[in-house]
Parts: sequence; structure tokens; C-alpha cells
Amino acid sequence: MLAMIKRNLLLYFRDHSGVFFSLLGALISFVLYLVFLKKNMLASWHQMPDAKLLLDTWLIGGTLAITSITTTLTSLALMVTDKEKHIADDLTLTDAGPLRLFTSYLISAAVIGTLTQLAMFGIMWGGFYLTDGLTLSGTAILNTLGLMVTSSLLAVVVNAAIVQGIHTVDSLGKLGTIIGTAAGFLVGTYIPIGALPSFAQSMVKFIPGSYVAALYRQFLMDDKLKTAFAGHLATRHTFERLMGVRLTWSTLLTQQETYLIMGLIFSGTVALVFGLKWLQIQHRRQYLRER
Amino acid sequence: MLLEAQHLTKTFGEHVAVNAVDLQIEKGSFTALLGPNGAGKSTTMNMLIGLLQPTAGRVIYDHDPKLGVVFQGSVLDDILTVRENLQVRAGQYRHVPADRVTVLSQQLGLTAFMAQRYGTLSGGQRRRVDIARALINNPDILFLDEPTTGLDIQTRLAIWTLVQRLQREKQLTVILTTHYLDEADSADNVIVIDHGRILAQGTAADIKTRYAADRLTLTSPDVVQLAARVARQPIRRTANQLTFSLPTMQAALDILTANRSLISNFEFRPGTMDDAFLALTGKEMR
Repeated sequence: MLAMIKRNLLLYFRDHSGVFFSLLGALISFVLYLVFLKKNMLASWHQMPDAKLLLDTWLIGGTLAITSITTTLTSLALMVTDKEKHIADDLTLTDAGPLRLFTSYLISAAVIGTLTQLAMFGIMWGGFYLTDGLTLSGTAILNTLGLMVTSSLLAVVVNAAIVQGIHTVDSLGKLGTIIGTAAGFLVGTYIPIGALPSFAQSMVKFIPGSYVAALYRQFLMDDKLKTAFAGHLATRHTFERLMGVRLTWSTLLTQQETYLIMGLIFSGTVALVFGLKWLQIQHRRQYLRER
Repeated sequence: MLLEAQHLTKTFGEHVAVNAVDLQIEKGSFTALLGPNGAGKSTTMNMLIGLLQPTAGRVIYDHDPKLGVVFQGSVLDDILTVRENLQVRAGQYRHVPADRVTVLSQQLGLTAFMAQRYGTLSGGQRRRVDIARALINNPDILFLDEPTTGLDIQTRLAIWTLVQRLQREKQLTVILTTHYLDEADSADNVIVIDHGRILAQGTAADIKTRYAADRLTLTSPDVVQLAARVARQPIRRTANQLTFSLPTMQAALDILTANRSLISNFEFRPGTMDDAFLALTGKEMR
């Protein structure tokens, strides 16, 4: 399994233009946001202290959530390429076994997702540090780093559930475009969830990435929120709900509840994805035993 | 019997790709599945390997053998080096000695380009790496699906010699598909397949004797008289030559000795694999 993970990572990172465009793909929404939307949003926040820094951290959180979704999807494309090029046939002849092969695709995609988020985080923070003097506390950074791993794992299994039904690289590419375009809206990065119609709001809550974005924002914005809303807890809650810093079910979700929901989505999807794979394997084993 | 297929059948929708094929492969033998494009060779092979489930019939191995497969297309990664590719595959097997890749690279003459990316190799070099990949787990049976298609004649010969050497030295059982007739010539067991059916089976010599007629061309100053004295109908007739298609060499000898005085020159050509193949599969293109 280690050899296979190493192979997948080598294939990804040796393709320099691939890595570049994958980063650029994640970065483009960020840049477009700065160019087209940031000024607009700042104007409506003008009376708030630290409005710039709040918006900066809010944007970093949303972009990292998008990055986790799109890069893991692109990395899982290798699974489809291998199937299409009959490399998968060759791999099934080895002793590794189909379940371990499948897992190695997932792990390498999670590693790639984490590293890309790390790079994106560095680029965005660096940029905001230079322009707005954005600083982050040690706890915020540690929590963010931890969430990079968690969000990658979550995105990988959710994407794997989708990718299992896809058999050509061509259709996966098209799906990637759709998801890449939709992700920014679905996790409430381009437009704050509070500004969406209620149907769209409920849809956002069905997307696992929204919880990731919310957690990122909680970690990154916490210090700024404390100073901005010192003594105005109710206003802070309204702001958090509107901006998707915390999602609402019946009440505003706490950090623990958000983590719990993510955990449930993760375990449910793992069960689904591996269950399907296991059934596939059993079907094949049965045939082999019969012959 | 190391491997046996009973009534192996595969259909894709209405199309019958492989039709009730029976096969027996002995340990240490060299079997060539010979057939034109689309005959069902690769489908048969994929069922033997276990990559494809037969619609009907069975594949029986006498124990759980280690398989090595050289696929028709490349299954290694272009942007990884030869060494990386082989190391990755070696890591996928249990009980592969640490120096296996190095040993194989020496045996198959890959040392000069081990650090080169697989995608930059020539066709012949790639094929050798593909074979090295198939040998990593020290297999009992080596399957090769059209290993020499698209290679020049020198490379074909080199690959062919390599495979035969492996069979001899390592007691390897080799099964390969090909549409090059000369390659089938040196196999222990030739199986001619077309339209998913086995048309003939046996040694190359067997098949030639059975399905390829010998040709005798006689040059004579008096073709008319010579034709009248031979009971058989010539298949070709010119102003000074007659060509007969004959079942055996003995028949040719009889004609030659009986008509010695009328013959100024002759040419005898034993039946070739080409003749047998065309006789079996017809001349139609597909």
C-alpha cells in the first residue's frame, strides 16, 4: 500500500504544470473575489471595527473549504485514469488486493488535499499580511492545520462516493468543472449564506464542505470577532449566522456539534463507499471460488 | 495439467467473442494463440487470467499459480522512471526479494535506461520493461498479449529470443497471443482461433502438415504432354510451367520420378504456416 501511495503522489507532484494549475484553480476564485466582490462587501461593513481583517479571514476559510473539495476530486481522477488505461487490471494481479489499492488512492488524495490547502493558506495569509497586516494566533493556526487534514479526509470520501460511479476521464473532467463552479456558492464562499434565499440556505446545509468552511471561519475569525463584538453577544450571533461562521439547525451549532456532524457524514460516507467496494469484491471472489 | 479451460464462452450482447473454447496447458509448455484481429484471442486470455468472467464454461488451475502478464498496451507510468515503475510494482507483492528489480534489470538488459522515464523509451525497450514487470513476482505462468505487435523485425526477434530463453531457463509456462505466423512456428503448441472458435490445435509442424498443402512447380519444354501424364489438376498453368498443390512430399516425388524426362526444372515448397492459416481462416479481411 505504501508503494502505491508513493506512486500516486509521485505522479501528482512530478506533473509540475498539473500542480500549478491545480493551485491556480483554487486561487482564481480568491483573486476574482478580491477584484470584484471585496469592495462591495466592505462598503456594507464600514461601521464595524477591523472589518478588513474579518473579511480577509472569512474569505480564507471559505477558499480553503473549496480547495479541499476540488483538489481531492482532481487527485481521485487517477483512479479513473488507471481504470481507463487498464493499469487497474495490472494492479489487481498483484498481492495488494482491491481494498488496499482503493484505500491507497484515497490516502494519497487526502495527502494532496492537505498539502494544497497548506500552500493556499500560506499564499492567502501572506497576501493579506502584506496588504492588510493580517496576523493570526498560534491556536488559530494549529486548529486550522488540524482542520486541513480533517477536511481533506472528509472531502476524499465524499468525492470517492461520486467518482465510483464514473468510468471515463472525460466525464470526470466535466463533473470537475461543475463541482468547481458550484462549490463556491454551495459552501457559501462567494455569497454569505445569510444573503441566500431560504431554499438555497437549506441546500448549503446539505453540503459537507459548508461545515468545513464554518469551522475554518470559527478558528480564523475568533480573535477578530471577540474584539469586534465585545459585549454584543446577540449581534455577534446574528453576524455568525449571516456569514456562515456558524450554521443553524434549530439553533446555532457549536464547534463540537459541527465536528460531530462532520464525523457522522464522514463515517456514513466511509461505510457507503467501502460497503459498495466490498460488495464488488465479494461478487468477484464468488466467481473466482466457483471456477 | 497446469491450466485447463472447459467450454469457455464469452458474449458481449449479441456478439459471441469466444465460443466454447477448450484448452489444456501443460507445465513448462509454450503455447501460441494465433488468430487474425478480432478473433477472440485477447478475450480468451483475459478469461484465463481472471480479469474477465466467462459467460459460460470454466477455467481450472491445478493449484494457485503465480501469474505474470504482459498486456497489449502499456500499463506502466510514463512520467516515472523504469526503476520507479518496477519498484512500485515490486512493493505490491508479498515475498519479493529486495534486490529483485536489480536482478531483473541485469537479466533483461535494462541497466542502461533504469533511470530514464518510461515514456521516453523506444518500443523495444518498453516491451522489455513490460516483461520485467510481469516477472517481478517470479511467476509460474507468463501470459503475453501480442507482445511484438508494432515492433520492427530486429526487436521482434530479440523479444522472441528473450521469451524463449526465459521459458527454457526458468521452466516458465508461456502463453502468448500473436498474429505473426512465423512466431507461432516455434511454439510447442499452436492454437488457431477465429471467430471465437478453435480451428486447429497442435504443434506447428502438425498444423502445417494437416492444413498447408505442399507446392510443386514444374518447368517443362512440353507442358501439354506433362499435364496429360499427371492425374492431378494443376492450380496454375503457364506456357512452360505447371504448379500442383499436393498433400504430401511423397506425392511430389512420385510425379517427379514418373515424369523425369519431361521436366527441365522444378521447385518444391513445403506448406508454410501462412498457407495453413489462410486455409483455416480464409482470405477475407476484417
